[in-house]
This record gives sequence, C-alpha cells and structure tokens, in this order.
Amino acid sequence: MAENNPTPTGTFKILYFAYASSHTKKSEEFLPAPMQLSELFGTLDKKYPRMKDKVLGSCMVTVNLEYVDMNTDEEMELKAGDEVGIIPPVSSG
Amino acid sequence: MGTSLEAENEALKRRISELEAELANRSNHTEAASQQSHPPPPNIANEREVTLSLEEYKRYGRQMILPEIGIEGQMSLKRSRVLIVGAGGLGCPAAAYLAGAGVGTLGIIDHDTVENSNLHRQIIHSTSRVGVPKVVSAITYLRDLNPHPNYVPHVEPLTTENALQIMAGYDLVLDCTDHPAIRYLINDVAVIMNIPIVSASALRTDGQLVVLNNPPSVGPCYRCIWPRPPPAESVVGCGEGGILGPVVGLMGVMQAIEAIKIITKNPVQEVGRTTMTLFAAYGASPFRCLKMRGRKAGCIACGSPERMEEKITRESIEDGRMDYVAFCGGRAGVRVLEGGERISVTEYKKVVDSGVEHLLLDVRDKTQFGICQLEGSLNVPYSEFESSKYEDSEAEAIKSKFEDQPKDRPVYVICRLGNDSQIVTRQLKQAGVFPGDRVFDIKGGIAEWARSGVAGEFPEY
Repeated sequence: MAENNPTPTGTFKILYFAYASSHTKKSEEFLPAPMQLSELFGTLDKKYPRMKDKVLGSCMVTVNLEYVDMNTDEEMELKAGDEVGIIPPVSSG
Repeated sequence: MGTSLEAENEALKRRISELEAELANRSNHTEAASQQSHPPPPNIANEREVTLSLEEYKRYGRQMILPEIGIEGQMSLKRSRVLIVGAGGLGCPAAAYLAGAGVGTLGIIDHDTVENSNLHRQIIHSTSRVGVPKVVSAITYLRDLNPHPNYVPHVEPLTTENALQIMAGYDLVLDCTDHPAIRYLINDVAVIMNIPIVSASALRTDGQLVVLNNPPSVGPCYRCIWPRPPPAESVVGCGEGGILGPVVGLMGVMQAIEAIKIITKNPVQEVGRTTMTLFAAYGASPFRCLKMRGRKAGCIACGSPERMEEKITRESIEDGRMDYVAFCGGRAGVRVLEGGERISVTEYKKVVDSGVEHLLLDVRDKTQFGICQLEGSLNVPYSEFESSKYEDSEAEAIKSKFEDQPKDRPVYVICRLGNDSQIVTRQLKQAGVFPGDRVFDIKGGIAEWARSGVAGEFPEY
C-alpha cells in the first residue's frame, strides 16, 4: 500500500481493504471530488462490474476515519482531500 | 538485654496488628469499590469473594503496581469469567495473556484437533500434541503457565443448541473464530445475555479488532456494523488465503489487552467511544483507528427493528429459527461438473505413465505454483479466468491465453483443492478453446495428488 501519495487537487482518496481490494485489484486510488455519498456505490459499480453485488453490499464505509451510515448519511458530500475506506468484514482468524 | 528483646517483640507485634488492620481495611475498601463498580459489564458478579495468595501477589506484582490495574483490578480479574471461542491463531495468544494476568475462570471452546500446519501461529500448542483436541492442548500449556485460574474445557463446536447455555457462565467473550456464521451467532447470544464481545480477525497480512456490545445496549454490535454477511465466495480462510503468524498473534494479543481493560475498568473511568483498529503489516501506516457510532436503533439484534418479527430473541435461537449457515450462504464445496468431466489423481497418473500427449493446466496463483508443481504443467492463475468475465468477450479473452498451444491434445486442469479447476474447466469448454471438448478436471487437486501418494512423495502445504 503506497499510502503516502498526496491527494491530487479535486480528488478524494479511497482505500480498499480485504476482498474490496481483491475485487478492484488495488489498495487505493483517487476519485473526482465532490461526490454525493449516495453516488459512491453506483460510481464504483460502474468502474468495477458487479462490485455492488459482490463486495459493497456487505461493507462498512468510513469517511476521514469515521463510520458513516450509507442509509442515513446519504446527504453527505465527499470533498476534495477526504479519505474514504471500504471495509469488508474479515472473518478468519 | 532481656528487656530490649521484649521491647522489640512488643514493637513487632504492634507493627503486625497495624498491618493486619491495614489489610482488613484495604479489603473492605476493595469490596466497597467493586460493589459500586460501573454496571458494564453487568454480569461480572461483584459478589464473588476472592483473595490473593502470597504467591499471587508476587506473580501479578508487575501489573498490579500499574495505577490502571492496582489491587482492585487484580481482584476484578480474579472474579472474571472469560470465554474464548476458538483456540487458534487469535485464541492462543489471547488465552496465554489472560491466563497469565490471573483471570479467575477461563473457558475455551473449540472442536478441532491440533495439526502441524497450525503451529507457526497457534503458539500454545506443540509438535508433541499434534492430534490432541486444541482445547486440551491449550489447557495443558496454560496450567503450566499459571495454575491458579479455573480452566473450563468445551470440546465441541459452539452451536445454536449450546450457545445460550455455555455463554451464560461467562461475563465476557472473545471471538477468536474463523467463519462469519459463528461470528453472528456469538454476537446474537452475547447481545441477549448482555455480555461484551472482544472481536478480532486476521487474514494474510492484515487484521481487524473491535469491541462490541460494550457497554451492553450502548455500544454497537456486529450486526450494527455489518448487517449483511460477506458473499460466501468471498469468505477465505487462513488455509486458503494464508496467514502470517505474528499478524494473527498481534490481533490476539490486542484482544487480551481489550479484555483486561474491560474487566479492570475503574468506576470513574469514562466509557470510551467504540473504535475499530485495522492493522496492515505491509501498509505505509500499519495501524488505523476508526471511530464507530453507538448501536443502531433499527438493528435486528440489539435494537428495535421496524418489523418486530425480525428481532432476534432467545426463543428464535433456541427454536432453531436462526439458520446461521444459510444466512451466510453456506460453504459447500463447488460442484459444477458432471462425473464424466472429472478424473481422479490415479487416473491422471495413468495418463502421465502412458505417455499420451496432453496439456496439464495448473490454475493456482504464481506463489503457490512456485512452491511445487507437476512436471510439464502450464500455469495460468484462476484470477486471470475470473477477470476475463469482465472483458467484452469472455471467450476471446480466454482463447487469447492459449494462442500458442496446440489444440488437438486433451487438457487436464488442476488447482490446489479441486474447486477453482472445475470452474476453469467449465469456462474453457464454454469458450470452445479446445475443439472436441477434451477438457477434464482433476478431482481434489494438488492436495489430493500429494495425500494419495500416487506419484510417491510430493509436498503437501
């Protein structure tokens, strides 16, 4: 994970953990900001076919290291410089 | 001379009674302190009388002198009853530290036996105890480490039939398991019984840690955070995905820390906000601490769902209405092919011995292929076949991988365990890469090739 890259102007950073990372084949990338939180899953699903169904439906989402609720925080806007985390449940141990 | 000895004797007696008074005072104080101790976790039965032997003062001294623990904390540890579910990579280090710290009752539940592939991470088992039930092996180690705790062995899986009864005997549970179905079961039962959960998991080089239902009915539960289970095909165990020993060890050690913090919580300490710790051993910033929210009002386990019939209750678990395996999509072995499309390792050995020209296609990833491979095999990883599904034409994408291969030979497909190879066999046939449909799956994969000994010694990993 090359997390030290500065976020380019006009983008937010998105981090993919566990099987979200297996699906996108990357651990992080930058997406254009601003974006409504409610558009996030749709955007990712377009970029990575079947991601909503296979990955996002079971994931927790954070914005700037804080949990967000994909149902009640719909109005939230992802701004330039934000850091979004897509965090699937890992069950092995 | 006589008088000075008598005087000294008197002085010593006075000092002894002073010390005895102080000790009595202190234990009263301890009782008082523990009686008013904060409600969470409520099941920690404060009324259980405990005392420390002189040996224990010495044994626990190094942690007792910490203001965070003190004599009150040590007494709380001794009164506590902790259940560890899973005596594997997480449970082993967690159990060792909690036993060492002087937890009064330590229950361990696991139905597995020790295997030699466990030992790189499951550090309280041993080579000499391979084949022994993990619970028995763990307690053997722990008794030697600290004979004081009451160790309770549960050599069985945790199920909907026994979970309520078993967990009723504990104040805190550590989720050290390896499958989502059992994680949801532990969660639901712990919520019903008002028991906090210290939950951790690890895979490959990453880990997750979160304290749930703490304090009960305030902190979020597993279902508040992950209401929907991962799709069954994305559930990878340590046996398939791999695991770095110290990564899972670290997560287990962190579970022990959180458990000690919950048990010894000082009444005046604030109940902190729930956080989740993500660990990535190879990350540029290995630790990330995420701020969580409290429980979700509509959670079907710990909240009040809109449709009340969805609420998980003691009865819905006891009646067997909760099917956790089905909820998590089961985990049955892949069976996509007909009998005639598959051959056994023995039959494949005959093909090799007969000298018939053929292509052996190994679809394991490059790392596994590097560990061992059969002679003359071609490696095209399963992930490449998966990605081809997203190409404009799946068939063309697959065909392009075999452009320089003769098409008139039979093809045999092998993977590690015989699941991926079936899917690839189906894909090759559907794409019509090899005319004549002579594509066969080798049942049980490399693992079966090794286990059966059909070609002499071969590494099993």
